Amino acid sequence: MKINKIILSFVSAVAILLSSSVVSFAKVVGDKIVLGAAISLTGKYSSNGVHTQNGYNMAVDRINSMGGVKVGGKTYKFEIIYYDDESNPKRAAQLAERLISQDGVEFMLGPYSSGLTKAIAPVTEKYGVPMVEANGASRSLFTKGYKYLFAVLAPANLYLDVAIRTAVELNGGKGVRIAQAFEQDAFSQDVRLGILDAAKETGSEIIIDDKLPKELNDMAATLVKVKQMKPDVLVVSGHTKGALTAIRQIAEMKVDVPMLAMTHCDAAKLSKQHGKNSQYALCASQWHKTLTYKDNFFKDGMTYAADFQKEFGYDPPYQSAESSAALLVFKDAFERANSFDQKKVRDALAATNMQTFYGNIKFAPGGQNVDKPMVLFQVMCDGAGKCENKVVAPLKWASAKLIHPIPKWSDR
Amino acid sequence: MNKNLILYASILVFGLAAPFIFPAFKVQLSILCVLIILAVTWNIQGGEMGYNSFGNILFYGLGMYLCASVQVGMFFPLAEWTESGGEKTFVHTPTQFFQGMAAGLVVAAVVPTIVAGLIGYSILGLRGHYFAICTLGLGVAAGEISGGIEIIGAGQGFTTPPFPNVGGLEARGEFFYFCSFFALVLAFITVRAIYSTRFKLILNAIRDNEDKAEAMGIETMKYKIIGWMVSAFFCGLAGGIMGGLVGYIDSTDVAFDGREMGVFMVLMAILGGKGTLWGPVIGATVFHIFKEGFWTLFLGWQYVALGVLIVVIVIYFPEGIMGWLREKYPERFGEVVDEADRKAQVELK
Repeated sequence: MKINKIILSFVSAVAILLSSSVVSFAKVVGDKIVLGAAISLTGKYSSNGVHTQNGYNMAVDRINSMGGVKVGGKTYKFEIIYYDDESNPKRAAQLAERLISQDGVEFMLGPYSSGLTKAIAPVTEKYGVPMVEANGASRSLFTKGYKYLFAVLAPANLYLDVAIRTAVELNGGKGVRIAQAFEQDAFSQDVRLGILDAAKETGSEIIIDDKLPKELNDMAATLVKVKQMKPDVLVVSGHTKGALTAIRQIAEMKVDVPMLAMTHCDAAKLSKQHGKNSQYALCASQWHKTLTYKDNFFKDGMTYAADFQKEFGYDPPYQSAESSAALLVFKDAFERANSFDQKKVRDALAATNMQTFYGNIKFAPGGQNVDKPMVLFQVMCDGAGKCENKVVAPLKWASAKLIHPIPKWSDR
Repeated sequence: MNKNLILYASILVFGLAAPFIFPAFKVQLSILCVLIILAVTWNIQGGEMGYNSFGNILFYGLGMYLCASVQVGMFFPLAEWTESGGEKTFVHTPTQFFQGMAAGLVVAAVVPTIVAGLIGYSILGLRGHYFAICTLGLGVAAGEISGGIEIIGAGQGFTTPPFPNVGGLEARGEFFYFCSFFALVLAFITVRAIYSTRFKLILNAIRDNEDKAEAMGIETMKYKIIGWMVSAFFCGLAGGIMGGLVGYIDSTDVAFDGREMGVFMVLMAILGGKGTLWGPVIGATVFHIFKEGFWTLFLGWQYVALGVLIVVIVIYFPEGIMGWLREKYPERFGEVVDEADRKAQVELK
């Protein structure tokens, strides 16, 4: 049986391959602080994954060029090892293991989306690797007692809470009739929970409650119902694809609804892609460039937006801004800890209290940022068809007045 | 036989020692074991029986959800565990965790087997493309349906119980590695055992000509169902282990992951050489190594690289690695080659 020889040699080849690839470079090499990140470069979250990566890269370049991170009297530069998680939680968990146990990474940046963060958090927690994440907003991430997870963003259930409350207010304090459709994923379902809470508190009624598939290309069934039942508010959330699909089909089917509230409008570049069709859409956002927060690295939102535009050729969505902010938080924590000890850095992170161009950052014991409210912007177009996102709520930041109700398609 | 023993013993020793020799690769090795299980069991349908099943992912996903549900449900209310994306936190004691996992794995293996038996009776009546399409639908449907069932987390996903705080940092990896390795050993022994009986010949007869096999008095349906049940048993087991290993179950991306796992199991078996015992094992290993390599070397382009690899394989190794070796070195596979006959064939061309 010579076949055995083939198999034996094959097995030994695998063994040799494995042993030869055991390379481990520690997190701090020379003057570099190596951070690990699994990012969705392919798959359904790829566009947001790239926004995230651009945000990280932008901040790394900026911090490095402005003197880097000073720890123990020495200056260090940031470097990030990226892997592609393919928008798949299974892959993300695997990559987190790989970054930590094979690449020797001791500090992590978050992936894109709540689902993937949910898959990675148990791994980083197990190894005691501090992770600052900028794109996992699911509320359940912050109730698990994770000690090494820090999120610079507000939790998902707050995303569209403001929209419902505004609608109720405009309705003279009476409850409204809500139609909602959410993608079947951790983030969107969490936004849904937020709406359910808001509806309960304001005495609003949910008349349509649909689930949308993950590969979201069609929601006509929901829109037909919306046409029939005429709700006061239509809420849609399903990442970038959800926003694009909703606008495309609402315009095609000429669905009239007084208020349309969504997420991910800026990531989807709605105002650019759909122009006037996206007009009046109300969008939840973690950040907007017109907000007046400041820091030393990016100055303020407008400067950040201009620099980002110069570097990557498009207006930064909030996903990029919050990702950049994650690096600022890390830098701040390293310098305050004045050490690369994971526990000390973790404690420094927990004590973070700072302002960045993206907003104030202060972590609750659960790890979520409690010092930064969500904003709501509305897509507004001028006569020439040039559309822009303008902040309409909360009033403190508003740069335009909310247009309500949305004019009927026949009058547009 | 003697040489066989040496081979198996050395592989077993390698398998047992691997997590200690390559501690950083435990997760990848565990996944490799799972991939091999999937490829080897897929080969029962796709390779030996000629039924290209895309539905084995159904059993894998079912096993995953069942194992996690049992592990949680034995000690805590499952509905509260998964409510609002798992907002409430319950902690398993080490005993609870391992008891739950053991019971979960049993259920994860047994229930899919029963399901395979039940649906097999109708689905295995289809042949060729119809069977392939029908099974493809099974996986997709299961993913969509499970994404709507609240008690297992629906779209929010299901966080499996975290590994208890025993045995230090490496314990979790070692535990899941040995789970998957033993499942693999069990699967391999079972498959090898049934391949050495008449059962394999019957499967081959079904592949070669099902009508003739029936005409010869073989109850093909019975054997087809049994074959599928064997696959389901191990797919379910593999799914249960994988769920615990990943720690987070998502309906379409982790459990009923037809786009990845469902296709990979077919690909691996074909790559290694379907219709052979070792082919799927080798195929899965090569595939896993290439895939991991591509992920590092061609960031963002790994699927393109993988696609090129597949094209190369289809063109140059249509029979898979084992098939190619067999053609090249037939004598090593115990085939008697008559040189004169071979020459005659060459000349005929």
